[in-house]
Amino acid sequence: MQNPSSQALDAREKLLIDQAVAAFAGRPGALLGILETVQAAHAHKSLSIESLRYIAQETGIPPARVYSVATFYSLFNLEPQGDNVICVCRGTACHTRGSRDLLERLCLDLGLSRQGISDTHDADKVALTTPGHKFTVRTVACFGQCALAPVVEVNYHTLRHVNERTLQREVRALTRGGK
Amino acid sequence: MPYKIISIRIDGELVTAREGETILEAARANGKQVPTLCYLKGLSAVGACRVCMVELAGTDRLFPACTTPIQEGMSIRTASAKLALYRRMAIELLLVERNHTCSACVSNGHCELQSLAQSLGITHVRYAYNNPHLPVDMSHPRFVLDHNRCILCTRCVRACAELEGASVWAVASRSIYSHIVSDLNDEWGNAHNCTGCGKCVQACPTGALAEKGFAVHEMVKQSDAVTRLAAQRAGSSR
Repeated sequence: MQNPSSQALDAREKLLIDQAVAAFAGRPGALLGILETVQAAHAHKSLSIESLRYIAQETGIPPARVYSVATFYSLFNLEPQGDNVICVCRGTACHTRGSRDLLERLCLDLGLSRQGISDTHDADKVALTTPGHKFTVRTVACFGQCALAPVVEVNYHTLRHVNERTLQREVRALTRGGK
Repeated sequence: MPYKIISIRIDGELVTAREGETILEAARANGKQVPTLCYLKGLSAVGACRVCMVELAGTDRLFPACTTPIQEGMSIRTASAKLALYRRMAIELLLVERNHTCSACVSNGHCELQSLAQSLGITHVRYAYNNPHLPVDMSHPRFVLDHNRCILCTRCVRACAELEGASVWAVASRSIYSHIVSDLNDEWGNAHNCTGCGKCVQACPTGALAEKGFAVHEMVKQSDAVTRLAAQRAGSSR
């Protein structure tokens, strides 16, 4: 039986998934493409459990496999993301240039619990969202821009040689920007 | 003759085996003991646990016996000090990842992980315990899933997909967060696809999947029943 507490998908979301399933039908690795399309169309760049269930139903892929794929790749989000995504590089080069301090400072400024960081290992992925869905702080293992370390990506725009002041300035601009 | 017969050397002994067989199949057919954990006869081999590693003459690399096909003239060693070291290490790392407190486990005394650890002479673990606190899923009317005992061998995943055809199980997430999920991380009792056949329970080498109503020590698994069923299926489909 379907989970009764879950909300049904609205017609628009169903149509979107149907179109994505049709567009990728028969192609190898179709599931990745479908998940990507559906996530990109979502307002908060995430995949709801209901949409995953519908994708599984429409493609005939076992639900467990859909869930497995969606949780394996770090670029798929099951949690709604903030309006602004700040991605701090935690690669070796950025780490030696102080990216952990940047991350901790950023979380402190945004009022995100540092527990999420200190509880997990440094190398682990972090994805924290502020309560109002204004900011999401993520980490990545490496951007491949090590010469510019430490690197922080703000809304998919890469900032180089970031220090706490420049990062704070960016965050303030975004906070005031009203987006 | 439908199969090509090739000869290989296992622990110095010249034996013949059918082409296409794996090292493990050839070794077991000739009475050689190779320890395995994620391998279950009848299910596909994934080579995940690294316990069945063997030495091949001419290379320093170790090969998983369960997934390496035999080749003419191969010389294989199934036991050595080096292999014992690596096998022990693999088991120790499994023990570190989850809470494997045997004294409080339904499968105590009937657990493949436990017997393997005993036969490899593991009395203690060299590494720091790293196990997270994981939930126990009691939602299924007949079975129970204790993530803390799971070694992620994926035998349940394969038994469900390959024999039952229900594909209820999969491994979600990655690294230390990897865990077994039923359907879309639904509780097992609410997993729409589950037929309640219990093959996953019988395939599970540890106490991670168990039948309800058993106390410590009491859960005896019948993984050979899974193997027999697979053989029947293979026979009937031919």
